[in-house]
Formats: sequence, structure tokens, C-alpha cells
Amino acid sequence: MRKRPFLWFILPGFVLYTLFSVYPIFSALQISFNRWDGIGEKTFVGFDNYIELFTNKELFGQLTGAFRNSVTLFLLNALAVLPAQLYMAYLLYSGIRGHRFFQAMIFSPQFIATPVIVFMGTLIFDGNIGVFNKLLETVGLEAWTRPWLGLPELGIFVVWVMVAWSGIGVGMIFFLGAMKMISHEVMEAAYLEGASYWRRFFSIVLPQIKTTVLNMLILTYIFAMTMFDFSFILGGVSGGINRSVDVMALFFYRIAFGDNSAVGGTMNVNAMGMGTTIACVMFAVIFIVALIQVVLTYRRTED
Amino acid sequence: MNLRPKRTYVSSTILWVYSSFTLFLLAYMTYQAFRSKKELLSNTFGLPDTFNFANYKKLFVEADFLQYFLNSTWILVATLIIVILLASTVAYGIGRYQFRLKSVVLLYFLIGLMFPVQLGIVPIFLLIRDMGLLNSQWGVVLVLGSGLSLPVFLLTTFFEKLPKDLYESAKIDGASEWTTFLRVMFPLASPVIYSICIIMSVQIWNQFFVPLIMLQSDSNRTIPLMIMKFTNNLMFNLDLAMAGSVMATVPILILFFIFSGKVLEGVASGGVKG
Repeated sequence: MRKRPFLWFILPGFVLYTLFSVYPIFSALQISFNRWDGIGEKTFVGFDNYIELFTNKELFGQLTGAFRNSVTLFLLNALAVLPAQLYMAYLLYSGIRGHRFFQAMIFSPQFIATPVIVFMGTLIFDGNIGVFNKLLETVGLEAWTRPWLGLPELGIFVVWVMVAWSGIGVGMIFFLGAMKMISHEVMEAAYLEGASYWRRFFSIVLPQIKTTVLNMLILTYIFAMTMFDFSFILGGVSGGINRSVDVMALFFYRIAFGDNSAVGGTMNVNAMGMGTTIACVMFAVIFIVALIQVVLTYRRTED
Repeated sequence: MNLRPKRTYVSSTILWVYSSFTLFLLAYMTYQAFRSKKELLSNTFGLPDTFNFANYKKLFVEADFLQYFLNSTWILVATLIIVILLASTVAYGIGRYQFRLKSVVLLYFLIGLMFPVQLGIVPIFLLIRDMGLLNSQWGVVLVLGSGLSLPVFLLTTFFEKLPKDLYESAKIDGASEWTTFLRVMFPLASPVIYSICIIMSVQIWNQFFVPLIMLQSDSNRTIPLMIMKFTNNLMFNLDLAMAGSVMATVPILILFFIFSGKVLEGVASGGVKG
């Protein structure tokens, strides 16, 4: 040990990290091959849990519903929030008047706990006392007022509005940080050559921060697949009316820890087995898509 | 060189609308907390008649806010100490010394960035239960404290960039490995540690999923769980939810605006999820 002093530095962190961060992933895989309620006898059943997840009508219905909502969240974030983050970051980068203030204001929702965000969201979208409906009445659009939180078809979009408002600042700060790394000479040269504001954005800034954009895209995807708290607080363990705000992580929580009586009563005795099975499927879904994204971009950058 | 767009009014308007919306929400929440439930339900937009602290009183007396606050604080402080202590020693061990499996060990610590805590939560839950720590703050602290990937990553980069002369001169002065770390290197890393502290604090303070699963009785739960409890029966607990939300949000936001320059700088330069 005297010859290897680094071992003493690394060991304590290594033990804790292994025990609570790495081991659980492998343990989950192992548990998913068993039929188990978490307390009693563990029975090895091979791929039965996976087969049941995809063949049991009720379970498969919940899985596809939750997956559809998660994908919707990802697409809305990727197609609407990400461009908005880039746009805002570029405005702040070019030193628009008051940029420090805007930067702090846009980032600050990040510091608000999710239950508070959902609480404010319910106050705004409530059918009776909601600010949004009052606003619509004030500007003469009474026809548009409705109980926003009571309409299942809008559920995931209401969740998305809250997610977008609170999360937009993080990506924006990333992009801003990346933009600040761009060499000043290049920007200056482009400016002197007469490249317009947006020309500089598309021809210099965007190509330079490509890697950051890709990383954000992957993070956005992982976030959408594992988002839990907004849906849970808004819709409870069942995922709201007709499971309208259900997402992958909530579906997983419902089977592993929640009330499973809706699933034919058989899941209770297999909560841990089926729960970890869903976790493993979630991981596979995240891992495969993230891998494809990474491979595609690395191939592009090599050209 | 003026890099600003030619016509800035469109862009500023967008930023102004967004910022005023956020400001409006915060102001709305703060002043509504001074109104009684009856006032709130009858007139949404109204200003408070008088500044009425009844909601706050109810929060502290009936809802036992102090208990939740202490629980949250305890978890925050204990987790931060564990994370900083373990992450800085690990990062120092990897960054300072040359050994064969160096990059493998670093990679091992970085895998955690790819696995959200949800995926392993069932085994973690069983592990904590078998250790008898379910329903105790220690369980939450251990789970959150094991999230070393990000701080290890940031600190290793820092220690690797330090000039090797620094280590050498401390050695020549007769300092042992641990003295060098504690007296020279740890203080040197304080800017990085400082921004890690800020980033982790927000994450831990607002952490929802892990306490939800680990803490099952009301008396040891944290502030986000308290607010969720009020939100579950909103029409009944509107006043408590209002005052609780203000108490959970405004102090952190004030801290953020005081340190906002440093916070944003730290997050941007680290390329870190805040």
C-alpha cells in the first residue's frame, strides 16, 4: 500500500459508488429474471417477465401509452425547446442590452422545486380560479376557456409546458458557455467580411458548437425517458385521467412501488421482478438510441 | 465590433415577455401567500387586503414546517460533506498519480453519468431496506452521496491540469501524501469545489424521487414532499401550499440572485447539468 498511495485516496469513494450506483444496475438485471415480491421467495423464471410485459394486454397497453407520452415529450423538447434555447443563447452571446438580467431570469426557474412548479401550473390552468382562463376572458376569448387540467387529450402538453418553462435555462446556459469558447478572431473576421447576424449564426456558431448540441439532444432524450416528478405530482400514481400524463418512469414506479391492482391483481406478487424488468427495458431504450445518436455524429464529424 | 443584431426590438421583446412571465409567477406566488383561502378562491387576481401572516403561521404551527426544513437541511449538509470528501479524494487519486488502470478507473466513475438513479432504484431500495436504513435520512444521504460521477469528473480534470512542480515542492518540504492533499491541493481546488457545492445543493434540496421512495413517514420527509402532500388536495390546502411554496422557493432564489454571476459561470464552464 505504501507504494500505491492513490489506492487510499480512491478506495472509500470507490466502495460507496460501487455499492449504490454500479451494483444496482447489474442487480436490477438479475432480479428481472425472477418472479419476486421483494420479501418472500425468489423464483427464477428466465425471460418470462419480458414475455409477459409484451404479451399481457393491460401491461403492454400501459407500456405503449407511457412510451408514446415520453416520446411526445422528447419531440416537443427537441423541436421547440432546443431551438429556443439556441436562439436565446445566441441573443445573450451577442450581448443584447440587459443580457445579464435575462440570463438570470431565464435560468432561475431551475431553482424551483418541481412540486412548486406543478402547484403554480395548476393555479394557472385551473378551470375556475385559473389565471390563464381569466386572461382569455379579459382579452375577449371566452370561447377558448376550458378546464385545461381536466382534458385527458391535453395532459401531456400541460406537463410539457411546465417542463419547458422550468428547463429552458439549463440548455441555454450550456449553449452560451459553448458559444463563448468560439475564437474571437473567427467571429471578427466574419463580421468584417460583412456576414449578417443570422449568417454568422448558421455558418460559424452552429457548426462550432455542434458537439454541445448533440450532447444536449442526448440529455434531452434521457430526460424525457426518465422524467418522473411532473407526471407523478400532477396525475398521481395512476398517471392522471385515462393515464393521460403517464410516462415511462411513472409506469415503472407504479408497477414496482405503487398500487398495481389495475393490472389484473397478478402484479402485486411480482412487483420487484416486473418492476426491474421495466427498468431494464427503459435502460435498453435509452442506451440504444443514445448509442445511435453518438455513432451517427462521430461518423459525420470524421468526414 | 458590434455583434448585436441590427434590429433588436423583436428579440428583446421575446426575452422581455419570457422574463416578465417568470417575474409575474414569482410575484403572484409571493403575494397570494398573504391572502386567505376564501379570498383566493373568490377572486384570483386580487391583491391582499391586508398583509396577513395567517398562512405562514398555519404552516409553522399546524404543518410543522420547521421539521421538514430541518430534515431537508440535514440531508443537504450530510450529503454535501460526503460528496465533497469522497469526490475530491478520488479525483486527487486519479489525477495526481500515474498507474496502469488510471483511465479505466476514471471511466468506471463516469459510467454513472449514463444511468439515471431510477433505473437502479429497486435494488437500491432493497439494499437500504436490508441495511435497516429505510425511513431514515441516512438512507437518502448514502444514495445521493454515491452520485460521485459529475464531481469526480470536474475535479479530476482540475487536478490533472495542476503543474507537477506543486506536488514535487510539497514533497521536498517533507509533507506526506495526505498533508499535501489536505493543506495544499484541497484549498487550491476550492473554486471548483465551490461550484460543485452550488450545483449539487440545488439538486439535493429539490430532490424528489429518492426521498419519496426512501422516506415513508411524514415526520422525516423533505420540503418538496411536504408541498406535494398539500398539492394532492389543493382546494383543501391551498393556503398551506402557497405559503410552503414561497418558503421553499424564495430563499433559494434570493441566494441565486446574489451569487448568480458565479453560479452561471460555474455551470457554463463545467458543461454541467444544473
